[in-house]
Amino acid sequence: MTQDEIRWPDALRATDRGEQAAAVSALRDVLLKGLRIALGSRADVSEAHLEDFAQDALLRVMERLDQFQGRSRFTTWAQSVALNTAFAELRRKRWQDVSLDALIADGGRMADPATFPDDVLGVGEDRARLVAALREAIENDLTPKQRAGILAELRDVPFDQVSALLGTSRNAAYKLLHDARRALRKRLLEAGITRQDIQNAFPT
Amino acid sequence: MKPEEPPLTPPQVEGLVKLLGLTREHELTCGECLEHVGEFAEAQLAGRPLTDAMAQVEHHLALCPECREEWAALMKILEASR
Repeated sequence: MTQDEIRWPDALRATDRGEQAAAVSALRDVLLKGLRIALGSRADVSEAHLEDFAQDALLRVMERLDQFQGRSRFTTWAQSVALNTAFAELRRKRWQDVSLDALIADGGRMADPATFPDDVLGVGEDRARLVAALREAIENDLTPKQRAGILAELRDVPFDQVSALLGTSRNAAYKLLHDARRALRKRLLEAGITRQDIQNAFPT
Repeated sequence: MKPEEPPLTPPQVEGLVKLLGLTREHELTCGECLEHVGEFAEAQLAGRPLTDAMAQVEHHLALCPECREEWAALMKILEASR
């Protein structure tokens, strides 16, 4: 039987201990193989790390088994959980010595618009108006946590680490930053800077 | 006293403005994205059109570098197993 043919959720829940153990072992092999493909070339990831990630991911998949809704193949879903587990740990290690205070020490200060290169933030008065509105919004319209989160995000601190620094979950950190972006966008709109102005200046 | 840090750089300010341009009233959280990203990745590989739910995943990936990194790694795994 190929792995695709295994009815994974049923096998992983099997009351027959032998059948369940075989399915758990097979899934662990699948996850480890995927993690090797995704992360094996990284200098900061050893085979021992991959084994640990696979084991942690396996436990998480088993805990979340009821959340699998069959929208993708089971192994695809399990691999996505494994990658989420592994990357969260790698980011945690990379950023573990960074404090939130160090990230937000400058508050909402921004570089003087006049010093920006010509191709950044439009030109002349528009650029100055946009930066002034942003600076004012960061300083006045955000909560301390939102301000800390936005400034950390702009310095490429991962959501996993922002959430750890703020003492919240990654979902809650994303929601916090989403609310912050909405507040900043509202201030820009009130300053007469439209979504279209932003998209015209920075087409994606 | 907190240490003095340099102000946000022009690319960081530009990054913020771009994020604001992409911001919507309703967005998926990272957890919601994780629940759908497998379906999204498989649809992409198969060339299937995106459903509304998958379009929301695509939008979240544009805003969230961590979920984007995990999606790219998932695509690598799926492509290797084709």
